[in-house]
Amino acid sequence: MQTLSHVEGGPRPASSQKPATINSLLVADCGTVFTKVSLFGLVEGQFRLMARGEAPTTATPHGDITKGIMQAIETIESITGRRFAAQGRIVTPEEADGDGVDIFITTISAGGPLRLIVLGAVSPALEELVAQAVSGLYAETHPLAAPSYIATSQPAPQGQAQGASANAGPWTPERIALEWERQLERIREIQPQAAVIVGLADGPAGPNPLQEACQLLLNVAKEREEKGPSQAARRIPVVYAGAPQYVEAVSRMLGSTAEVTRVEPLISQAQLGPTSTAVSNLYNTQVIQRIPGYTHLQALFSSPPVATATSLSSLVRFLAQHYAMNVTAIDVGGSTTTVMFAGERGEFMPVVHAGIGVGPNVGEILQQVGFQRVARWLPFDISEEELREYVLNRMLHPHVTASQVRELQIAQAFAREAISLALDEGRRHRFDWPNADLILATGGVFAHTPRNGQAALMLLDSLQPRGVTSLVLDRTMLVSQLGAVATVAPVAAVQVNENDAVTHRLGTCVIPYGALPPGQVALRVGIEYRNGRQISVDVMSGSIEVIPLRLNEQALLTLYPAPTVDVGLGPGERARAAEEIDGGLIGLIIDARGRPLVLPQDNRERQARLLQWMQVLGV
Amino acid sequence: MTYLLGWSVVPQTVVRRERWPGGYKTRGTPLVYPGQEVLCDQPVIRLYKAEKVEAVDTAPRLALPSVKMAVAVGAGGDSGSGFYADNSNGSTMGGDTVPAGLSGRVVDITRRGGVVIESRVAAVEGTLGAGNQVAGVLTMWRSGSPTATIPPGAILVIPGPLNFAMLRQALSSGIVGIVASSITVRDLEGFLQTDLIHLLNSVDLELAQAHLPPLTLLLTEGLGTIAMPARTVNLLSQYQGAVALLAGATSVRQGIYPELLISLPAKETQRDWNPLQPDNALTIGAPVRVCSGEHEGAIGEIDYFFAHEQVFVSGMRARAARLRLEDGSQVVVPLTLLERIG
Repeated sequence: MQTLSHVEGGPRPASSQKPATINSLLVADCGTVFTKVSLFGLVEGQFRLMARGEAPTTATPHGDITKGIMQAIETIESITGRRFAAQGRIVTPEEADGDGVDIFITTISAGGPLRLIVLGAVSPALEELVAQAVSGLYAETHPLAAPSYIATSQPAPQGQAQGASANAGPWTPERIALEWERQLERIREIQPQAAVIVGLADGPAGPNPLQEACQLLLNVAKEREEKGPSQAARRIPVVYAGAPQYVEAVSRMLGSTAEVTRVEPLISQAQLGPTSTAVSNLYNTQVIQRIPGYTHLQALFSSPPVATATSLSSLVRFLAQHYAMNVTAIDVGGSTTTVMFAGERGEFMPVVHAGIGVGPNVGEILQQVGFQRVARWLPFDISEEELREYVLNRMLHPHVTASQVRELQIAQAFAREAISLALDEGRRHRFDWPNADLILATGGVFAHTPRNGQAALMLLDSLQPRGVTSLVLDRTMLVSQLGAVATVAPVAAVQVNENDAVTHRLGTCVIPYGALPPGQVALRVGIEYRNGRQISVDVMSGSIEVIPLRLNEQALLTLYPAPTVDVGLGPGERARAAEEIDGGLIGLIIDARGRPLVLPQDNRERQARLLQWMQVLGV
Repeated sequence: MTYLLGWSVVPQTVVRRERWPGGYKTRGTPLVYPGQEVLCDQPVIRLYKAEKVEAVDTAPRLALPSVKMAVAVGAGGDSGSGFYADNSNGSTMGGDTVPAGLSGRVVDITRRGGVVIESRVAAVEGTLGAGNQVAGVLTMWRSGSPTATIPPGAILVIPGPLNFAMLRQALSSGIVGIVASSITVRDLEGFLQTDLIHLLNSVDLELAQAHLPPLTLLLTEGLGTIAMPARTVNLLSQYQGAVALLAGATSVRQGIYPELLISLPAKETQRDWNPLQPDNALTIGAPVRVCSGEHEGAIGEIDYFFAHEQVFVSGMRARAARLRLEDGSQVVVPLTLLERIG
C-alpha cells in the first residue's frame, strides 16, 4: 500500500479577520451544478445546522458566482426570518437582533479542473508521480513526452501509449517532426492552463526534452497571442520539477511567456509534496480566482475560498484520527467523483477524479465504461439510444430532479460506475484500497436518494468492501464543508459533524469473501441483543440479508463462516466482536453476494436478482 | 422565491458580441473601426483564405529537424449569400467579406480580426446547437412550402421538431442556419456525423466545430420531439425577413449555449427604450415552462408554492410548485424543473 503525505491546498484564512467569538457561520459550497449554503448557530451551547438553502451555481461564462450564493442565502432568510445579506454584501458580524453572521466561508468545486500538460522527459514512472502528486486536487494531467525523449528511450511503445502508433517505424527526423505536430495539435485540443516540466537530463536525449518542452510552451504562447489580447496577457504558469541545473536555462528560454515556479526535482514519492503544493496554488490562481464573479465573492467572504476536495480531505483525516479508525469517504458530484481513504495511522489516499460525475460530466462515464457496464445495474431493459438520450439531457439539464423511478435508477447506475472509475484511478496510482471501518457517502446523488437502501446498494456494489464496516450517509451534504469550517471554527466543525452531518448511520455491514459455496450457507450470524434476546441467521451465498438492529441499538455479533469463507480472520475462522456493534437506519446488512461481485449474464436472471436485492434493502 | 433558470427568450436587451464566422485558424481584416455605427448587412470583416507557413522564430535552435508551425490562415469564413465556414480544404479562395449580422456600434476589434458590436436585440437562447456563427435572413417555414422558395443564405425557423431528411435538404438548398424546437439524438448525430457527447464536452470549440457540416443549428427545446413554445414562434414570426445572427456552438464544459440575436429595428428603439431585465423570480402567476421529466415542454402559470418538500413518483423529495397549464389542468412540479419564460 502506498500513501501520500497530505498537502493542504488553497489559502488559509487570515486569523486577523476572525471575530473574537464566533456564534454563527454561513458556509457556501459552490458545486458545478448547485450552490449549497448552510447556517450554523449555537443551540443550547452546541453548534448546530440551523438552515440550508440551495440554488443553481451561477459560474457561467457571463454569470456571477455570487448570484447563486445570494439566492441560496435568500432561502435561508425566508426560513429563519433573519437577514444575512444586504446590498450585495454579507451582514457581519452577527447583530443583537439576530441578523448577520460572524463568519462567511466558501468551498468551491465549480470552475472545472486545472488542465495541466506534463512536458519533458516524461517516463511512465514520472507520469505516474505527477498523477499521484495531483491526485487529491481538481486537476487533470495530460502527459506529452518530448519527441526526442520518445525517440531515444524506446522504439515504439511510448509513442503507442500516446497515440502515435500510426507512424510506427524507426524514429527518423521526419517521424519526430510528425510527432511534434501531433503534440501541437493535442495541446490545441487540451487548451492547458498550466504546465509541469519533469525529467532529469541524464538520459540519451540529454537536455533536449527540456528544450522541447520550452519550445512547445512558446508555441502555446504564440497561438494565444494570435487568439487575442486577453489570452496573450496571461503568462503560462509552469511548475519546473526537472533537472535543477537547467532551471535558469529554461527560465531564460521561456522569458516573459511563462511564469516559472521551481520545485524540488520530482524523482520519487519523497518529492510529491512540493509539486502538489505548487499545483494546488495554481488551481487557486488559474481556476478559483477566474471564476466569473470572483471579485464580488472576494468582497463577501471572511477568508479565501477553499477547494471542496481540500476541505473534505481535512475532515476525513480528522475523523480517522479522532475515532482511531480507517475511513473511506465518497463524494459523487456533478462533475467530479472523489474517493478518499484516511487510516488511523495517518495513511491518506485521495483520488479526485475530475471529469467524472453524474451531472454535466455523466457523458464521460458512458464514454469510458460503455453502455453494458451502466445498463447492468438496471432492473429493466434499456436501449443504448435511451441511455445516450438520458446522458445528453442530463448534460444539458444537470439541475433537474429525477422525478421518475427510471431516471433515478439510471442516475444511480451512473453513480456506481463513477465510483468504480475513481477506484480504478486510485489503483493506477498503486493505491491498494484497504478495508474501511467506516464508509461515508456524500454528494447529491446520495444525499437526495429517496431510500436509505438505495444508498447502501450503491456503496456495496461499487466499493465492494470486505469484512466488517459501517455505512454512513451525509444527507445534509455538510461533510465536504466542515474541513473548511474547522480552519476558522474547529469546535463548530466537530459539533456540527456529530450533531448533524453523520447522523444517518445506515448500519453495520458484514461482507464475507473468499470461495462462497454456491447454493449453500456462506455464513451463520449470531446476534445477541442488549435485552438478552438471541437469534441466529443463515445467509446463503449470492444473497443479501438484513437483520433488524435499529438506530441506537447495539448487539454482540458472532460470525460462523463456511470453511472456505473469510470474514477478515482467515477462511473458516469464527469471529466474535469484542464490542457491541451499532445498528442503523437499515439494520445489520449481510452481503454474501461474493467478491468480486459478479452479476448473472442472463438479462432476466440479472434483473430478477437486482430486484431481489433491492427488495431486501427496502428499496 | 427565486430560481435562476429561465428567460431563454428576451424580447429586448443589449448585447456585445464578437462577429466572427469561426473556422479554425481563420484570419480576418476588419473593415470598420471602433465607434462606427454598422448595419446588419454591412460587410465588417474581410477573410483571408491563403495559407502560409510561419516559422516559430522565438524558439531556440533545438535538436529537432526544422520545426515549423503551419498557420493555416483563412480556412473558414462566410461565402457568398450563405455565410458558412468552409474548413474542409484550406485552398486559396481570396478574401470574402462577412456581414455584421447585427446593427449597432462597433466597440472593439479583436486580435484575430473579429469585430465586437454592441446592439439592441431580441435574443433567443437555445438548449442545444451546433455550427459556427452565421448571419442570414430569418425565414419562417410554412408546412407544405417547397424549400426551393426559401432563399439561399436564409436562417430557417421551423416551429416543430427537425429530422435527418429535413437537415439534408436544408444543407443542399444553401440555407445557412436552422432554428427549430427539437430533434432526436439519432437524427442529429447522423447529420453531424459526430458523437454529441464528445462534442458537448469539447474544450476547444472551434476545433470541434471545424468538422461539422456547414449548417448552423439552434434547438430551442433540445433533444426529443417537443414543439416550440408559442411565444417563441410569435417572437420569431414578428421578425420574419430581418437579418439575424445565429451561433450554434454548445459546450457544456464551458457553459456556452447557442443563441439567435435579432437587432431591433430603429423605430422600435428610438423612444423610451430600455433593456428588459429578466426577472427570474418564481412568483405566483409567473409564466413558466417545464424543462424535463413527465411534463417536459408544458407551459403554465404558477398558482401555488408548497411550504414543504413534495414527494415525487421516484420517491425524491423536492421543493415544488403547482402549475395551471394552458389547457386548464394542474400539475405539481419540482422547482428545479421550472424555467421562467416571461
